[in-house]
Amino acid sequence: MQKLFFTLIALLLCTGIKAQIWVSKSVTSSFFSSTPVEDIDAQSKTGASALNTKTNDIIFKINNTSFQFKKKLMQEHFNENYMESDKFPTSDFKGKIVEQIDFSKPGTYPVTVKGNLQIHGVTKEYTTKGSLVITGDEAKATSTFNVKLADHGIKIPTIVFKQIAETIQVKMTAIYQPKK
Amino acid sequence: MKLRLKSILYLSITLLPTLAFAQDSLEKALQMPAEKKNVQATFKATKLINIQTNETIYKNELDFRVDHRFGDIAGSAGGTKNFFGLDQSTDIRIGFEYGISDRLSVGLSRAKGAGVITQLYEGNLKYRLLEQTADDKVPVAVTLFGSTTLSAAKASTDPTAANAFSEFQDRLTYVVQAVIARKFNSNFSMLVMPSYVHRNFTVFGDQNDMLALSVGGRIKITKRMAFVADYTIPFRDKNKEAYLESTLGTKYYKTLGAGLEFETGGHIFHLNFTNATAIQESQFITDTNTSWLKGQYRWGFSIARRFSFDKKKAK
Repeated sequence: MQKLFFTLIALLLCTGIKAQIWVSKSVTSSFFSSTPVEDIDAQSKTGASALNTKTNDIIFKINNTSFQFKKKLMQEHFNENYMESDKFPTSDFKGKIVEQIDFSKPGTYPVTVKGNLQIHGVTKEYTTKGSLVITGDEAKATSTFNVKLADHGIKIPTIVFKQIAETIQVKMTAIYQPKK
Repeated sequence: MKLRLKSILYLSITLLPTLAFAQDSLEKALQMPAEKKNVQATFKATKLINIQTNETIYKNELDFRVDHRFGDIAGSAGGTKNFFGLDQSTDIRIGFEYGISDRLSVGLSRAKGAGVITQLYEGNLKYRLLEQTADDKVPVAVTLFGSTTLSAAKASTDPTAANAFSEFQDRLTYVVQAVIARKFNSNFSMLVMPSYVHRNFTVFGDQNDMLALSVGGRIKITKRMAFVADYTIPFRDKNKEAYLESTLGTKYYKTLGAGLEFETGGHIFHLNFTNATAIQESQFITDTNTSWLKGQYRWGFSIARRFSFDKKKAK
């Protein structure tokens, strides 16, 4: 009898854990490279993210081929020469939100996210600031941070050195909903 | 007491997987979109050395391409007296290609032309019929190529000559090709291509219609440099071949090209060797009468530069 009782509690806790997961199916991420010669920007709208409101774990995953460029040839070069998307199909982030946020309380919260970002098969630790806007059963997270290409083993050949910046600005926007 | 301890132990065992599961389940909660991916960049350029690849250029992009073939490096015409061919040019071609859509491109070019049929004006269409998919449901890419070439050379008065044009139509040559290509991995791509060439007018005794089969491939050596090669077998009627050899002393050969491809992001350079004197498929398939074994191979190079006219913002 007691066993059954504990099993039930355990099961209940399981469902409890499920409800504290918030997901975003359409993470918008864009990056921007600016040099005096050329400005390059690209955007992906199909990234995915999930966060756990209890443990503060947060993860992101983006298909590298989902980035759309103004110039198609650039898109081809991005996947072929720089990201090597057939070898490293996704970029991802696994980390934690540093602050303790009460997701049941609507409001705007400045947040700090700390974790590991994997791009081009190379993982590096990042700490970045962002903001979280909670409105009822939706949460919108935004963040802007810089990624140094050399940190992720992405080499820019000298001949196109002037076209591609060494540091790329990345912008992320994700709208989360509790996972049912 | 003992029972309670047992219960706690039981509870923690039941809960442990759920807790350890947190990161994992978070990953499971991720809803990644199912992407239908086409294989990109089977080849880097629209041409290998002599032959076309399955690649077309993207919408609103312009490809500017210059091809050059020097004279024979060795053999009776080569050597030091023509500085290993560098003193001569057997063919030069300047071409533009424009992407009407990501699948269809249209090209215009001017070539010197090898042999007696010179002053070539070519118009071509290239259409990406089928794309190889990453999941291998479509294992190959198929691209169709068609061209019409007009020779503006002065008509010869010798009625048996290849350029004894009497009417405007005599100056035209048509080419239809189907490129069947596969990217095996990021370092290796191959293609097979049947061709059909129709010349409205030929040298006396030659055939107007000809079929040919080509194979070609690309092996990446470094990220920016690749080895490329192609081989073309023309199918000429045996009787006609014997006749042409006995009357004109012209022997026809298969073409073999091999070289290096350099890619610099926007520019593509080829440095190659080939026995074909002509650049365009309208000529090299049917009229290659120079042989590797006789030293009649040459340096060649090509430079291709892409320009983008797409002003729309990636939003």
